[in-house]
Amino acid sequence: MSEATFEKAQRELETIVQRLESGDASLDEAITLWERGEELYRVCSEKLDAAHGRIEELARRVEAVKP
Amino acid sequence: MVKVEAIQYGDRKVYSVASFNRGVADWLSRLPTIWVEGEVTELRRNPRWQSVFFTLKDPSDGACLGVTIARSRFDALRLDLRDGERVHVYGRPELFEAKGDFRMRALSLERFGLGDHLAALERLKQKLAAEGVFERKRPLPFLPRRIGLVTGNDAAAKRDVLTTITTRFPAAQLVVAETYVQGPFAATAMIDALREVSAAPDVDVVVLARGGGSFEDLLPFSDERLVRAIAACPVPVVSAVGHEQDTPLSDLVADVRASTPTAAARLVVPDAAELSARLDRARATLARGAAGTLDRERRRLDVARDHLRRAPLLMLERKRAALEHSAGRLRALSPKATLERGYAIVRTEAEIVRSSDELARGARVDVELGAGGFGATVEDTR
Repeated sequence: MSEATFEKAQRELETIVQRLESGDASLDEAITLWERGEELYRVCSEKLDAAHGRIEELARRVEAVKP
Repeated sequence: MVKVEAIQYGDRKVYSVASFNRGVADWLSRLPTIWVEGEVTELRRNPRWQSVFFTLKDPSDGACLGVTIARSRFDALRLDLRDGERVHVYGRPELFEAKGDFRMRALSLERFGLGDHLAALERLKQKLAAEGVFERKRPLPFLPRRIGLVTGNDAAAKRDVLTTITTRFPAAQLVVAETYVQGPFAATAMIDALREVSAAPDVDVVVLARGGGSFEDLLPFSDERLVRAIAACPVPVVSAVGHEQDTPLSDLVADVRASTPTAAARLVVPDAAELSARLDRARATLARGAAGTLDRERRRLDVARDHLRRAPLLMLERKRAALEHSAGRLRALSPKATLERGYAIVRTEAEIVRSSDELARGARVDVELGAGGFGATVEDTR
């Protein structure tokens, strides 16, 4: 799971959302999809947080070497 | 009529020298008495001589004519003529028989008058103007390497020019030619001086200066030869002849005309102090310009860097917004949300119970709620 890229995870999440919105998934399927969606959301969110952290860290380093 | 006898040698007629001269003299004596204009040169008057002698010279091409006038007549005119003066001579051609000398016998002599000068000047002006001599005007150099100065040897004009030039531009270099600027020989002397200074190495401009004078004093400055020499000068000429009216022709032909020698000096060199101040201002402007450009570029760079810094965060925000949007939709559809509204899911083993037909009394079911769940036994079915 953690190997998946953000974009891939997000595309899957979007697919799940559309599948759920179509309303033709069975309840069991819907629950499975939902759980999978929540998992994907968590993964994506963590990736964004990590990226944000790296960017801020980089900005701090650039700021530190500024004359 | 005088009778001129010839000697007969066979069929050849031969005349003695005296006869020939007498014959020519007789023929000349029949020519009319007329006025001739020229410059007096080589005037010789001796109290012991019957006649006064001088040579009348054509100022334009130097043609010469010997003139004699009776000394008593000459003295009576009280002209006090000097060499180089222009005169009108009234007389007729004559041959001095003893020598075979051709000359003019003058009956009267008039100094060339103011009116004559004015008329001659106007004619010359018209002629030169028609030739276009006054039209060529060359610009003065901004900073001449050397300055030629043609001026009188003790003239205030010279002092004015030198003082003004060295005050304005102390490093200026001058080539000075002192010359006659007045009198019969002034024109040729000035021409020589003009040629001399304009031919000197590095001379880029020549100032011809004289501190004013009467109309007659300034006549040499209107001499045709000088005017042509100025026109032919290889470097620009500034004419600086102080005068009230009666513009000398040198003023018209010069590339630049200055009202006084001081004004001429101001024209030929820039004011070093003013130049230096102008240079300083230009340099300051330049420095400000450079600093301004630098500031502008730095600000532009700063803006670019800010954009660069913000770009990844902006992208993250957009992705997060898209993610939250998806998550929102996911949760809206979530079965959990439904459960949270008070619904429950009933399962047997793993199967979801959709109808009471699937259940019998005493069956074990698993009930899932919005929060938690519980096991239950079916008591009855409907």
